[in-house]
Amino acid sequence: MHSIETKNITKLFGRITALDNVSIQVNEGEIYGFIGLNGAGKTTLIRILLGMIRADSGNAYLFGKKLSSDFNLWNNIGYSVETPHAYPDLSVTDNLKVYYQLRHMKNPTLIDNIIDQLHLGNYADTKAKHLSLGNSQRLGLAKALMHRPKLLILDEPINGLDPEGIIEVRELLKELSFNGATVFLSSHILDEISKVANRIAIIHQGKLIEELTTEELTDKLIRKILIQTRDNRAAVQVLKEANHTAVLEDNGEIALTNSRAVENPENISELLVEKGLPPKQLYLFTEDLEMFFLRMIKYNNP
Amino acid sequence: MNSLIKALKAEIIKNKNSNITWITFAAFALAPVMGGIFMLILRDSNDLAKTSTLSAKMEFMNVAANWDSYLNILSQAVGVGGIIVFGFIAAWIFGREYSENTIKDLLALPISMAKISNAKFIVYIFWTIGLAFFNLLTGLIIGLLLHLPTSNDFLVSAHLSNYFITAILTILISMPTAFFAVWQKGYLAPLGFMALTLVFSQIIAATGYGYYFPWSIPGLYSGAGGEYKLQLDALSYGILILTSMAGYFSTIVYYRFSRKNILPNFKRKRQE
Repeated sequence: MHSIETKNITKLFGRITALDNVSIQVNEGEIYGFIGLNGAGKTTLIRILLGMIRADSGNAYLFGKKLSSDFNLWNNIGYSVETPHAYPDLSVTDNLKVYYQLRHMKNPTLIDNIIDQLHLGNYADTKAKHLSLGNSQRLGLAKALMHRPKLLILDEPINGLDPEGIIEVRELLKELSFNGATVFLSSHILDEISKVANRIAIIHQGKLIEELTTEELTDKLIRKILIQTRDNRAAVQVLKEANHTAVLEDNGEIALTNSRAVENPENISELLVEKGLPPKQLYLFTEDLEMFFLRMIKYNNP
Repeated sequence: MNSLIKALKAEIIKNKNSNITWITFAAFALAPVMGGIFMLILRDSNDLAKTSTLSAKMEFMNVAANWDSYLNILSQAVGVGGIIVFGFIAAWIFGREYSENTIKDLLALPISMAKISNAKFIVYIFWTIGLAFFNLLTGLIIGLLLHLPTSNDFLVSAHLSNYFITAILTILISMPTAFFAVWQKGYLAPLGFMALTLVFSQIIAATGYGYYFPWSIPGLYSGAGGEYKLQLDALSYGILILTSMAGYFSTIVYYRFSRKNILPNFKRKRQE
């Protein structure tokens, strides 16, 4: 059973197609990274998944159940959508108490536990309107996590967090996933997604343009050896004669993309030394998610 | 029932530290205080205020410095001023979720929006009834401090029944304000609606047709319109109750529809 499944979801806002036949499947226990530029359709899909807006066509399923008026598994879901907001005149604890009541919870220690877990202890009695952006984000996460949901839907959860907070949230998400929870994570901070997600989907202009596992992503990322010598043109010639796919890039560096070179860079170094062109610089370059993402977008939007 | 109690507890927590609660009590206390000042002015023949236009007006309105007049002022304050204060409370309770951007956190919960809405109406009713009692209690204290006399035909039960029926009518007719808060997602529309109804209630009451305009009825019942009170009949109260119920049910229905996946989507059904 998939924790989340959408079938051909389409959503229009006037003439703008926010989502165009988006079909995804999120497996139980995985961290699913949903990435896209601002306005790509990430939040629209999340709002549909939470019943906040309707799709114009297509269906969404959570835990195998179609989203409809009969859907009653909301206590298995924790969520934080866009900028987290709270009741400004209520303290952190009172804000959590509101959702404790509305979620029909029966274990008051859950409030203290989540406050401790998200390091909000010093702010437990602080009114929400006096919290920093980072702590407001923590409060939003606390609301989403307090009831220990099986599915967590988070929209840009690390916005406004300091580096320490980002690491804490990352570890928390990994721990939740380890304990069986499914995490659906939307973000435009790609580096962070690449650190936690098991699977990544790229959405652009409302269309799902790529969906791949971390392993598939690793295979698709461009890897190349970049070299600088005293005479790069001569070195390219030498490398080509040795059946390497060597090209001189715009910045003057030699790029080798064939797997024989990428897997054994020391052989390249030896070859160039033998030919009297010892490398001044030789390193293995691996494309990161941000570059891959931009490449995919460029490919789909020439 | 359990869900409703949980929703009610959540609403009580939400209002715990709210300054608005105390502001409404302070605003409502102005009526008995001002009424007390009128009584003072009218009572003392040597008072300079006796010569003021206010004093002349009060005498013209047949207001004397006694319990009858004072309790009538309190009733009229509830019937007319209550439209403003009670409407403001309804606007606040329902509009805050939009103004504070917390509505999205209420949409995917294991509790229906109808229950949350009902809990809000219960808070509204207790809050406004509390204000009505507070207004009366403050008035009684001020009246006792002023040693107001009673008239020959003074009947406390008649005054209390007039006061509380006026309060109930005002509480009922301010409920539709909540619909404007959820429809327009904030405070401005309900406050505008409230101001509009207040203006119209005065104009229509002055033309003599207030007995069929629901927002004029509490004021007329309180005695603010003098003999126009006699025009009120079963149809007047029926119109007021129907308007109130329409406001209540439309608020519940519209609030429920905030959770969009329960909306009947004919377009989607056709495509399926």
